[in-house]
Order: sequence, then C-alpha cells, then structure tokens
Amino acid sequence: MLAPLFTLKLKQKILPRRVTIGKFDGVNPNLACATAAGKVFIHNPFSGSQMSQSATSMSRLVTSEDLVPDLYYLNIGQQISAMGAGCLGADTKDVLFVGSQTHFLAYDVHNNSDLFYRECPDGVNTIAHGYIADCNVPLVFAGGNCSISGFAEDGEDKFWTVTGDNVCSLALLDYNQDNVNELVVGSEDYEIRVFHSDEMIAEITETESVTCLAAMNGSKFGYALANGTVGVYDRNNRFWRIKSKNQAVSIFSYDLNGDGVDELITGWSSGKLDARSSHNGEVVFKDNFASAVAGIVEGDYRRDGTKQLITCSVDGEVRGYSPANKDTSHNLMDNDQEQDLIRELSQRKNNLLLELKNYSENTKAGKEVGGLKLSATTDVDGQHMGIIPANTQLQTSLQVTTETESMPSHVQLLINTTNSTVIKAVMIFAEGIFNGESHVVHPPTNGITSALSVPIFPPKDVPIDLHVKTFVGHKNSSQYHVFELSRQLPRFTLYVQAPPNTQQPRSFVSFPVNERINRVVMWINQNFLLDEEVCAIAADTELDLRLMALRTGCPIFLHMVPGTITIHCEDIDLVGDIVQALAASLNIENMSSTANFPEFIEKLKEVLVKVDEFHNVRQKLTAEMADHSNLIRSLVVRAEDARLMNDMNSMKQSYLKLYDLNRDLVNGYNIRCNNHSELLACLKIVNQGIQKAGRLRVGRPKTQVVTACRNAIKQGDVEKLFKIIECGGA
Amino acid sequence: MEFHLSRIDLMTVGSTSLKSMKVLPNPPGKKIAQRIALGDHNGVLTCFQMKRSDTVVDFKTLPGPRIERLELGGAIGSLQEKIFISSGSEVRGFTKRGKQFLMFETNLSDTIKSMFISGPNLHITGQYIYNMYHNCQDTHFYLSCDKINDMIGIPGSGKEIFPVLGCQDRVLRVLSGSELLYEAEVPGAPETLALFDVMSGFGHNNLIYGTKDGIIGLCTVNKDNPCHRWEIANSNNLGGITAIETYDVNNDGVSELIIARDDGTVEVYSITEGQPKLITSKNVSESITSVGAGLITSPTHPDVVVATYPGHVISLTSEVKSHVAQNVISPSARSKLDDLKKDIEELKRQVLAEREKYQKSAGSDSAISAVVKFHVNDKFTLNPVDANYLLSIEIQMPIENVLLQCDVPIDLLDVERNSAVVSHSACDPEDKNYLLATYRCQANTTRLDVKVRSIEGQYGTLQVYITPRIQPKTCQLRQYQIKPLSLHRRTHIIDGERPMNALKLSGSFSLGEVHSWIGYCIPEVPDKCPSGETITMFFQSTFLDTQLECNYRQGSVEFKSDNISTISILKDVITKLATQKKIALNITYELCEDSIPHSLRLIHPKLDEQLLLAKKVQLIDALKELSMHEPNLDFLSPEYKDIIQNAEKLQAAFKLQPCHLERLYGMITDLYIDKFKFKGLNVKSKVPMLLEVLDNYELETLIDFFEISAV
Repeated sequence: MLAPLFTLKLKQKILPRRVTIGKFDGVNPNLACATAAGKVFIHNPFSGSQMSQSATSMSRLVTSEDLVPDLYYLNIGQQISAMGAGCLGADTKDVLFVGSQTHFLAYDVHNNSDLFYRECPDGVNTIAHGYIADCNVPLVFAGGNCSISGFAEDGEDKFWTVTGDNVCSLALLDYNQDNVNELVVGSEDYEIRVFHSDEMIAEITETESVTCLAAMNGSKFGYALANGTVGVYDRNNRFWRIKSKNQAVSIFSYDLNGDGVDELITGWSSGKLDARSSHNGEVVFKDNFASAVAGIVEGDYRRDGTKQLITCSVDGEVRGYSPANKDTSHNLMDNDQEQDLIRELSQRKNNLLLELKNYSENTKAGKEVGGLKLSATTDVDGQHMGIIPANTQLQTSLQVTTETESMPSHVQLLINTTNSTVIKAVMIFAEGIFNGESHVVHPPTNGITSALSVPIFPPKDVPIDLHVKTFVGHKNSSQYHVFELSRQLPRFTLYVQAPPNTQQPRSFVSFPVNERINRVVMWINQNFLLDEEVCAIAADTELDLRLMALRTGCPIFLHMVPGTITIHCEDIDLVGDIVQALAASLNIENMSSTANFPEFIEKLKEVLVKVDEFHNVRQKLTAEMADHSNLIRSLVVRAEDARLMNDMNSMKQSYLKLYDLNRDLVNGYNIRCNNHSELLACLKIVNQGIQKAGRLRVGRPKTQVVTACRNAIKQGDVEKLFKIIECGGA
Repeated sequence: MEFHLSRIDLMTVGSTSLKSMKVLPNPPGKKIAQRIALGDHNGVLTCFQMKRSDTVVDFKTLPGPRIERLELGGAIGSLQEKIFISSGSEVRGFTKRGKQFLMFETNLSDTIKSMFISGPNLHITGQYIYNMYHNCQDTHFYLSCDKINDMIGIPGSGKEIFPVLGCQDRVLRVLSGSELLYEAEVPGAPETLALFDVMSGFGHNNLIYGTKDGIIGLCTVNKDNPCHRWEIANSNNLGGITAIETYDVNNDGVSELIIARDDGTVEVYSITEGQPKLITSKNVSESITSVGAGLITSPTHPDVVVATYPGHVISLTSEVKSHVAQNVISPSARSKLDDLKKDIEELKRQVLAEREKYQKSAGSDSAISAVVKFHVNDKFTLNPVDANYLLSIEIQMPIENVLLQCDVPIDLLDVERNSAVVSHSACDPEDKNYLLATYRCQANTTRLDVKVRSIEGQYGTLQVYITPRIQPKTCQLRQYQIKPLSLHRRTHIIDGERPMNALKLSGSFSLGEVHSWIGYCIPEVPDKCPSGETITMFFQSTFLDTQLECNYRQGSVEFKSDNISTISILKDVITKLATQKKIALNITYELCEDSIPHSLRLIHPKLDEQLLLAKKVQLIDALKELSMHEPNLDFLSPEYKDIIQNAEKLQAAFKLQPCHLERLYGMITDLYIDKFKFKGLNVKSKVPMLLEVLDNYELETLIDFFEISAV
C-alpha cells in the first residue's frame, strides 16, 4: 500500500483547477492556490528563504503569521479564473501567472512586483506554459473565449489564434514527434484541436466540453470531459476511456508505480484520487479525500531531489506521494493480487457456465414445445419466459421528417419486428445528442405494438453512432429478449431536397478542387441522409445539388463543374462545416477560396461598432469611478474631522453624502458588469467570425486568414478585415 | 489489538439462500481444519474443507430442487454435525460423510422458510405457519398473523425450547408448544435471528436479531417477558442484516459478534462489556447470505466464512499471508490459476459451438428462442430515517444496465456506493412516463442500489428492466408498487391523546375486500387477512410522525389520523377502488379543527431546523472569507463562531437531506388544500399566498393563515 509521504492541512479553501506550483525564488518549490475573495495564497514551508522581507504596504503580498504559518497572500481583487507558473526569461526564478475574466497578471513573487499586467478582454479560462514551434522564448498561453494568446516576458503577445468556442483546457506536447511542442486545445464545442505554431494540424471530436488536458510520455495525452469521462489519446488514437458518475477536476501525468511510464492521475469531484495505467486504464492506485480534489501538481516539496505528486483538496488538505520503489511497484493497493486474479478468472468461468446453461435450457425448451404450434406456446409459456420464434428479426430504417406543428424537424428511427412479437421499450445509447448518454422510449401499456419510432434531434452536424437496445417479447411477459444493434447517423442528417422554386442564396464560397465529380457525389451520398441518391448531370461534367437545411430553413446550393465547387448558402457555419468535411474526405491539405457573405459581413460590422461603443462606455465609467473614490476619501476625512470637532451636524451630512456616493458606486459597478458581459459576448462573436472565415479554407491559407484578420482588427482596419474574409489572407 | 481480515475465495457454487451454509464443529479440544457444508439453488449440497490452500470436496449431491435452508443437528449432548437441508416442503438429513439418513416430506403446503433442529425435534416455518415434529410426528402448530421471516429455538431453563418467530410486522413472537407466550416489538422487521450463547452476564437464553433496515439488537427471552439489552443503530446507512454469528475470531478467549449485511459488509464487534464495539469491518461487494466461523484455512488463525448470493464462498482470514507482502504468486495458486485458465479455454470452445448452433436456429421457422429466467435478489424498503425507499437489485451475473420507468413523479437520489453512470431521459407524461432513467453499470457489478423519493398521494408502479451482461441478451422486468401512503409504516403503539380526524366508510363489502383495499393503500399490511371479526392496525408516517389507525370489519371501516392529508388520500383512493368494484359506499367524516394546528406543530421543529440549517449553510462561505481577513475572530457573535466551528458538520447535514425543505413545503401545501377540500372549497389559487407565508416562516402566522383563509 502506498501511503502519502506527507499530509498538510492548510485550512484554506482552494478553488478547483486553480492550483499551481513554482520555484518563485529559483530554488524552493511553493504551492500557489487561488482561494476565496479574489486572493491567492502561496505556501512556502521553507522558512529559510524569506520572501516577505520586501513586503510593503503598497505591494500585493501580505503575510499572515497569525492564521497558518508559511502562508502568504496575494490580493488580486478579482475573481481568479486560472493559475499557472513558469519561467519566462533567462532568470531561473518562476513567475506566477494569475488569470481573471478581464486581466492576465504575471507576477514576480520573490521581488514582489508585477512582471506585466495585461488586459485580456477575452478572459483567461486556462493557462499553460512552455515552448512552441517558431518561437525561441518560452511563452505563457492564456485560453479565453474562443481565442488563445501566448505572452512573452515583456507581456507582448507573440502568439494568437482563434478556436471554435471557449477554451477550457490547454496542454503543450510533442504531438507529431518532431521535437517541438504542439499546443493542444480543448474547448466547449467538444473539440480537441492541435496547433503546430498557429496552424491547426489535427482535430478530434469528443462528446462533451473538454475540461482538462494533460501531456504524457511521447505523443500521449490524457483528457477529461465535463460528463465524467477520462481517457488517454496517443495522437488521434484513443487508447482507452472510462466514464464515471463524478467529474474529473484535475488530471496529471506522473509515474507513481516507478515503472518508467507515466500514469494518468485523476482527481475527482467526489474526493477520489486514482492513478491509471496510460496504456489500458487499469487502476494501479487509489486514495480518498474528504472533499473534492482541487488540483494535482508535482514538485520537490521535501527537498530530497525527487519530485513528489502533490494533491490538494478544496478544503485545503494537501497530500504528497512519492513513486513506489521497485519492490512494491506492482502492488500499490492493499490487495492480494493472487486472490484478485483467481476471483476474476472464476467470475469469467462462471459467466461462461451460465451462458452454456442458457443454451442448454433453450434446447430443452425447444424440445418440450417441439410438436406444438408456436402460437400455442406463446400463450402458455411465452408469457412467462418470453419465448419468441428464433427467426424473429428487427428491421430498422432512418427517415428525415420535416417540421410539423407539434414537432420540429427530426430524424426518425423506425424499428419493427418481423412477426407478432412486440417491442416493450427501446434504449438508445449515443453520445452528444441526448441530455444524458441515453434516450429511452417506453410506450404506454396499451400502445405496445411490433413497431416503434424514435425521434432523434441531432443538435449539430456530426456523425453519430447509435447503439440501440430493443426489448422484444410479448405484451405481458416479464422477460424480454434484448436485440442489440448499432446504426450510424451520417454527418449531415437534417437536410432534404429543396423545393423546385427555391431562390439561390446570395452568399457563396467557391474553391478549386482537382477531383472527379463522382467522388464528390459519393461523398454526398455517404454523408447526407437524402431520399434519393444524388447523381451528376451530363455524364460527370456537372453537379447541381439543391438542398434545404431543416434546422435553420436555409437553402444550400452546391454546384460543381470540373475543377471548381461553389456553395451558395447564407449560413456561413454550415458552409464551413461542409468545406471542412469535404476537404478531410478528399484529403485536401491546403486550399484557399473566395467567399462572399454580405449578411455575415454586415452583422460583423455592427458588432465591431458595438465593441467600440462598449470600450468607450467602459473608459467613461472607469474615469467616473476614479472621481468617486477621490470624493469618498475626502468625505471620510471631512466626516472624521467633524467628529473630532464634535460637529455632529456636518458629520451626519458627510456620511449622508457618503451613503449616496456609495450607492452611485454600486450602481456604476452594476452597469460596468453588464457592459463587460455584453462586451465579452461581442468579442466572442468577433473571434468566432474570424474562425468562421478561417473554416472556409484549409491548411496554410486557413492560418493565414486567421492571422491576417487578427492584425486587421488590431489596426482597427475594418475594410481590410472584410477584404481578407472575402479573398483570403495571402 | 490490530486485527485485519483478508479475503480468500474458497469456491463458487450456484446462488444461495439465507442461512444455507454452516461450518461443521470440531470435537471439543481438537484443533483441525473444519468442514463447510452449503446448499445452493441448483439443489446441490456441497461439503468441503481446505487442505494447504487447496479446496477438497468431501461430497457433493446431485442437482435437485433448490435448497432453501441448511441447519446442523444431532442427538442432544453429542456433537451437532448432522446436516439437514430443506427444499420445498421436504427435509433431508446427511451425515458428514455424505450418507443420506433422513428423507421427510412435511405436510406443509408451501416452501419451508426456516428450520431449527434440537435432538429429535424438528421445527419449521412456512410463510405464516409454524410446525414442530417430534421424531417426524406432527406435534405443535401455530398460525402467525404476518409473514415469518426467521425462527429459532431458545433453550429454556430445563429441556424445553421456546421457538421465537421473527415476523414481518416488527414483532418477535415467543411460543411454547402451540401457544403464543407473548409478543415483543423490535425496531425493524427482523430478517435473521441467532442464539447468543456467550458468557455475557445476561444469562443463557439470549437472542440476537438483525433487521432488514440494518439494526441489531440483543434480547433476553424468559418465560413471561422479554428484556431488551442493547441495540446497534444503523447510523452509517449500511445494508440490512442477513446473518449473525458469534465466534472467537481474534483468539483472545472471548467470542466476538460477527454481522453480515446485504450490501456485502462484514463487521466484527467486541462484546466483552455492555454495548458492542466495532473492531473491524470488510466489504465483499456482494450480498451475504450466510456467515460462519472456524478454523478453515489455517489451524491457528480462525476464519470468518461467508457465502454470498451469487454463490461465492469467501474466507476472511485473520492470518497475514506472507505472499501478499512479498507480492509473489505461490505455486499452489499458480496451479489453481492454470487449471482455471484451462477450464475457461474449454468452456469458451463449448460456448462458441453452442452460440453458433443458437444463431443457426434463427434461420429455422419452427425453432424457438427461450432463455431461462434468471433469479433476482431484490429489495424495495422504506428507510424510516430519511423517509426514502431503497431499491437494491442483485443478480448472479454482472449487470449491464438497468432501466427504471415510473408512471408517477418520483425522484432518484444518488447512492454513494454506486459506480453506475445514470442518465435521465426526457419523458412525456402522456405516455404515462414520469421517469425514464438508465443506469449503465461498470464491469463486474452484480449489485445496484437506488434511492427513491416518493410523494404521498401519488401512487403507481415503478418498473425496472434488468439486463445482465451475458449472451443471449435478455432482460427481466420487475415491478414495485408505490402505494398511496407510501411513507407510512406499521407500528404497534400510538398516542391516543392527539386530536384525530375520522373517516368512516360503510357499504356491502366483505372483510377480505376491505383488507385488500387497505393493503393497496398502505405498506406493510400482511397479504393474508388476519383472523378475527374486527381488525385494528396502527401506522406511523416516517416523514412527519403523524399516525393512522384503521379499524375494520365486514361492511364498515374507520380511519383515524391526526393528519388531514392522510384521510383525504384514503378517501380518494378507496372510493376509486370501490367504484371499480361497483360497491356503493356511505362516507362520513368527522374533522377535528385542532388537528391542523397540531399537525403544523408537528412539522414545526423539522421545518425550523431545516430553515435554520439552510440559513447557516448560506453564511458559511461569507464567514470563512471574513475569517481569512481577520486574524482575530473574537468580535463575532457566539452564533457565528459556532457556525464557523461546525461548518463541516452543517454542510454534511445539509447534503444528507436534499430538497428536504421542498418536501416539507409540499406537505404543508397538501395539508392546506386538503383541509378546505373537505369543506368543499378549492383553495389552489391561494397557494402562492401560502408559499409567501412560508418564505417568512413563523409558526403562529402559519397557523393563523390556515385559520383566517377559511373565510
């Protein structure tokens, strides 16, 4: 049994996912955690080095020897949303990074001074630190709303890119084994994207928001999703995943059993901590905290030359573990392997025996009813045992149904049996399309028949595997046969042929494709769920496809002549999806295109105007606030003076004024808050707009568009921005 | 003294019933490896022992009807090593060598539920019947008024034996011959009884009972009155008690008390002085059906042996095995593993062949597909502590998933020990679905616990489809009734002083009919109508502690309760039932105005506590933040200091009772609506006003609100 090496009780609340460790004095590792009231505490158990010596009244650092020794507090004054630490320059000292919804702070703890303090209008959801390709200095990356920035020592953003949705997690690892790190980004739109420098080289679709990422040995990395899934990828190969009813708060890569390969350490919201083999997910160690785990880091907290695994819980309990030595490395848990193995094998044997018994009983039952007609048996015995004819089969079909008054457009999964047996219920397990992981259809007793239809509402255009389990039997059976089958829902399901008189949309994108039309036709037939197969007109020289998106009601016209595809559609998102899916299927690596989306541009223009307005309002409010705080200061002094002079009347007046002023301040604050959240929403739209423009291209041209758009926005050149969206960034 | 139990799997048989395994005793003075005898649902009686960590089977009978019980017996004064098994209404006896010496068909019409042997006397019980045979001659008989869960004989002062019946209505019935001596009420429905023949200062005629809701108690049984000694409450919310044993497992010369539960927990208590003290506990993660102890795997260190429902015989040894520390696999285990692997390979081949045959039959028009119904060990019980139902499901093979469907609104609560992933599906009340949830179990889970919160007055059926992880895939449907007064439970004493509302119904119905109606409405009513012309039963609400009295005979029934909502629910449901049977009912009721303030006062302390708790929990974060800023907290009021100090306790209590407040509000709203319903007024429109009063809760204003709005 592996016991914790040390346990500390810091008696401080620790905010989940906001735990980091750094050698802030260049020598000793210190834990830094975000706690309530916008504060960060730094735990420095190595009292030899006094970092608080330089603490003055003006600095952020406050010591509090009275509460818990070795703890120092930093007042950030804002809700802290992310933490990190790392070395940025030639100096060996680590810098503490603190992110909030509006700012990014790089703080030199040892010298008690800001390294840089930057405004980050996109917010900071997560922080990562390290080297990436095409940049010779270490950067600190801040993942915000749809954007990622990489800051150098001087606070300049040397790196910037956009993603499809809010960034939840970041990791740096050598994904393609080229000896430079790639940036792996997990976001709220269920995607894991891999960036080599600012070019996206891979995209993996998961089934929920990707909340944590952890680099492991080589090209392996661990991930965790908001629905309690944890797993390990090696590049885009998933080694394993498990799903728990709890949420993984923090994941970390650490070699706990000393076998030379890192395990994936997971801290759960239930307070559980477990270590799983990166290869197959087998649990090699587990422990339990009294409250949820807040964060996992590693550092030499005992100053003995090794790095310990350090785990913090939200209640401020800290436990350190060191890797097991060789003798005990195979058995970190207090159990008897021999007995476990025997148990497992006998369980397997037992299951096989039970299955055999099932078959033999089946044959026996078959002999018993042998002579009788089946209809008779279903009446007598069928009720009880759920006997069904052996040739019972399930037929399934998928059908797109257009909107009716009671039901929005959906895909219908029709299931029916081939004889008189009935379907009691259907369970469908699929990820990403239902509220939970499953959807159940259980008709009322008087509505049970041999056919059943399940409406499915795919929320977005992704291919989905449906695992359908159907309970087949007789109306009053107490035992049912379970028919299991899988069906794949193609990527673009909710589309039908457009009615003949549909107008061609104004907006379009067109791009060169050096492929035979037949391949595109094939792709369409595989990825769309259309009533009739699509075919090219005039012997492989032209393709004209007119579709209607049922979800939005937008018509889509896809026109192809040899060499060029043109897609007409007002919905830029959808066009982007089609371009990306088509390019991936045709193995196109680089592709630029011309785009014309007047409506989209118009909207973007409005948003950009709004952004300017919000910026102005904010500046005005900030100035007002400064005025008010000056007034408050003088009023307090005046009131206090009046009190000393025993002039109660003017004191009262001063305090009344103060009260009014305070109310104004609170009001002002509320306005600022609203203003800020609206600003954030607008910025998100801008970032997503850039991303959408990028998605009309593939590979290098895509990256160029994103970078060029960013520069245009920085320079405030709106016309240039629109030009880039139209013609690409080159 | 440091004392640990480590698990060794001894063997696997078919699934087992309660009390179907015994450790054969050693002759006095001898210390050799003891034999274990057990019977399973395949009807096989197995007797085996361990020789140098190898399992050696002494004998094994051929499969037959399922074995329900296994007891030991023998001539009085000699070693009790003859094995008696019961299956159906038949009792068979075997010597320890496996020779059958007795085959006795009792005249019981149903299955033998429990058995006890003392010399030439055989005591058995069916569902309601107790029978005693002296040398196979029917001698004594007793008919119990509720289901008998277990029975045991307590030796009296002389040769006589007092049979004690543990009955479902939470009563121990002590008999002498065919006569009932007296009844003793216990805190839960006794599931298992055991003799407590330990030097304890309480004399010899002691009995330990374990209840379905996990309470253990010791009771001295005399000729004329019972004497309760101690009781261990189920404070950690563990499973129900299934087996009890006393044995000196730690070799200290004094026996310990060994308790086994249906959630797989085994606990060892020291009973040297007064209240028992927990020494160690271990979980085997399968529900335990029998527990024994003796020298099994080692001649020096005693083992606790348990048989589980899926048929595993597991030894929990007190010996520390050296190979565990060194972490090497011993040669004997190695060969065992190899054998197992060989068996599995062979079986796999057979299974593949059979599977192919089965699939081929799908092509034939005349073939059928029938799969044996698997046995489900399930329990749906009301936990009186938090007024929630606990549904436990266990099967012999791993569970793949469980689908829950209910036609009335109920809530599912998370059970900590579950690892299954739950997913709620959208449901349409028009299809009579108020709940559709799937539990997808992790590999090798044979057990699932689900907590269910019901609302009184909303009655229907909870349907559960269990799919095991085994080919060919089938699922079994189990149904559980959620009764109109689902939160009530049977009691034997009520407070006569309370202001009671009464509801009287009369009409041309039989006693059996009215009994079935009451059974439909209230839990814990025996299936069989008790004998007698007039029947009286008492119930208590586990949530509000209000009470209900039922008096009924042919043609008339009277309900009395201090809670007007209870009366209202009964009136609605029974009228509906009678209309279905086309029986005209004459309904009269007497409402007691005092009962409303009385009910509100009953709710008051609970509501007050919850409100205070919620308020305190709300303050915790703010106070903690304050304590971070201020080094010295002396300026805080004692109340606030108290909150900071007990923050964790408060939060735990708050977490334990989710939505408790909402539930109480619901009860008060029902009370309000029901009060005026009896007056023929519909006050649903005034409910928002009531909720407003509740938001600024004060007992007196609430009582006033109930009074005033009458106009």
